[in-house]
Formats: sequence, structure tokens, C-alpha cells
Amino acid sequence: MGKKYAKPPIVEAVCEFRLTPETRWDLTVPGLLYERLKGSFPQKEQRMIREVEFIQGPEGLKQQIRTSERIMLFTEDKKMLVQVGPRLLAINVLKPYPHWEGFKPRIEMAWQSLQAAIEVQGLERIGLRYINHIELPAQSVELAEYFEFYLSVGQRLPQQMVSFLAGAEFSYADDRDHCRVQLTPIPGSGGKSLFMLDIDYFLARPRAVEVVDALAWVEEAHDRVKEVFEGCITDKLREMFEEVL
Amino acid sequence: MVTYCDMVDIVPSIYRPQLETSLVRLQGTGAEDVKPEFANILTLPRGRLQSSGTSLAAVDFPVPQRGSESVVIDIEELMEWLARRVRIESLDSMGKYLLQFTELLDVIPQAVEAAKKHFPEAQLVMDVYQDPEIDDSYLVLYIRLKHYDDSVIERLEKAEAEFLNQLVNKRGWIQLTTDFRDP
Repeated sequence: MGKKYAKPPIVEAVCEFRLTPETRWDLTVPGLLYERLKGSFPQKEQRMIREVEFIQGPEGLKQQIRTSERIMLFTEDKKMLVQVGPRLLAINVLKPYPHWEGFKPRIEMAWQSLQAAIEVQGLERIGLRYINHIELPAQSVELAEYFEFYLSVGQRLPQQMVSFLAGAEFSYADDRDHCRVQLTPIPGSGGKSLFMLDIDYFLARPRAVEVVDALAWVEEAHDRVKEVFEGCITDKLREMFEEVL
Repeated sequence: MVTYCDMVDIVPSIYRPQLETSLVRLQGTGAEDVKPEFANILTLPRGRLQSSGTSLAAVDFPVPQRGSESVVIDIEELMEWLARRVRIESLDSMGKYLLQFTELLDVIPQAVEAAKKHFPEAQLVMDVYQDPEIDDSYLVLYIRLKHYDDSVIERLEKAEAEFLNQLVNKRGWIQLTTDFRDP
């Protein structure tokens, strides 16, 4: 059992399922899902999502921008949403984080609704991502006091940084899964420092998880994310987040 | 001992362009109409570690490398994009408004581009307007000019026409207008 905090720094958690191209998908799928989910997610919105893809070709690196439509189904209070796009299902929860006991049932509901609506042939990617905003009480802080994951620079370099991006990707489950961790300062206010700690655990090997095992993978991913989060912070932050015993 | 401080100007030269959009500026105190020559570290796509070997050149639009499923990241990327073009009066209010009205994320860049096209000389200021009498709020994009002439209203209408139809059937609103203040 992992630690639980009264004031968790989570501003968003996202669970994402990307389906393999063999899965049949058409324009009716979002509507079918809405019918099944509208009891919990009654507010329907629509966005155009633009993605940029870098393709290495013989003439060098090329940038390609694609646009796709995404349906977003929100709860009444807009603190949770389900996103449906071409072969994509994502479930988001926003601050205040409802804890895993509140998030997991929504993931299960959305995933089972998708499976009831279409025949999922395979999983290209599954991801569980937690975005944390960590506010520290001063504009100038010593990172090592709060983080065990940060950018360390040698003594010959200036010791004060105006900005940085610390990132690493860790391997799990015989390299089936990866966990990308990034720490970066973001604009804060009122003489405080704000940092974003982004923990993204995902299936790095497409199709390595069977459809029937998807939810078990998510549970395992959650355990790993908790471990990584605890590995990134010091007791000083744990005190600030107020552990619930 | 490694410290983080946003008031220091001694930085390795490779990061020198960051000073164009430093954290201090991103806190909404100074609009930056000039694009930095290179990408600010804060504006790099969050997924860049995924694709090592790719160029880090700035993408001139808030577009994630892989479609972002995170609403928070989408909002932050848009705000970073905006911070280089528009003076944002309150980052906090903007962030909260956009969390409520995510459909506007697609429209705001179009509104800003339209305003810049029709008022290339203007300072752009974005704020959340809260109606004092009823529970209603919306985004306002002000244009501020050194000299106001008769063409302003007509130009405002032309600029607005370029994105107004994108607001149809969407929750939330962005109003292009002027408060006739100096930049």
C-alpha cells in the first residue's frame, strides 16, 4: 500500500488507450460511447487536435502536421472527462485528484464501454500519466532539499539556473514499459516557485499487452507511478503534501 | 550546491535565448511580441525526450508532437505560445477559465493571429472579464494602439470575422475589442 496525501500536488491524471490500426473505427463510435457514458459524463464538447510528427526521410527530417477531431465528455463539475478520438480513448481527472479509488472505476467504466461498442483488436499504446504542480515557498530554492530527481551540474558550471528541463526515461517489465519523468520550472506567482513533475508510464512495445489484460496493466502502471513519484521527492515535500496515515 | 533562481543573468551561452522569454516575463508582467530566435526550454514540446535526434527548433504553433491527451499540458503549451505574443494580465485566471472552457483552446490562436494580422502595430492584452452583476465571464483580447483613428472599429470587425464562426456552438467566448489605452 503506497502513501496517500491530504494535499497531493496532482493537477491532472490521464489514462490513455491507443488501439491498433486493425481495430475498425468509424464516425459513429463517439456517439455510441456517449450513449453509454452520458450518465456520468453528460457534457459533450468537441475539439480539433493538431499533432506534429517528425519523419526521418532521405532528405532529412520532415515535419508533418495532422488534424483530427476529438470528442470530450465531461462530468457535470468538469473535473473528469473522457476523450474519444480515432482509435483513442483517454480518461482524465483534474484537481482535486479523487485518489485512485475514484479514478480507477472511471477508467474501467470507459474501457468497458468502448469494448461494448466496438471490437478492440489490439493495443498500440497504453499510458498512465500524472502531472504534478509543486509549489515551493520561495523564488530561489535548493532543489536537492525537495527533490531526489533533478538536474545536477558540475562545479565548473554556474550554480544558479534560470531554467532547466530534467528528464529521464526508465525501463520496466523487461523493457515492455517505459516511464518518462520530467521536472521543469513553470511560471509561478507571488514570490513562489512552481515546478511541474510529469510522470508518464506507458507501454513502450506496441501490442505487448493483450486487450484482456489492459486493466491489469493499468493497475500495475499505477503502482510503478507511485514508486517513481516517491522516488522523486524528499521528506520535506512529503510533509508539505501531508501524508494521511 | 545547485540552486534554482529566476533572478540571475549568468547562464551558459547555449541557453542565452531563454532570456527573451524568461520566467519573470512569463509571469504576465511583460508582453513579448518578438519571437525568440530559438525555442525557450519551457516551450519545447513535452514529449521531446521520446524522439531523440529530432530538431529542437520551435514549432510556430502550440502543437504537441504526439496528440496530447492532457488538458493541463495543452493549456500550458497554449499559454507559453501566447506569452510570446500577448500580454496576459492574469495567468492564474486564464488557466482556470481555459480549464472550464477547453473548446476555446482551438479558437484562441486564430483570434490572436487575426488580431496581429489586422493590427500589426498593436500591443495585444488578454484578460478574463468577470461580469460584476451576473455569474458570467469570458476572455477579452484587447488591442492597444499608440494612435487610434477612424479605421479601428472597421479593422476590429474584420479581425473578428476571421474567427467568429469558430465560436458557434462552443461554450466560452473570446471578445476582441479595445479599451483605447496606450500600449
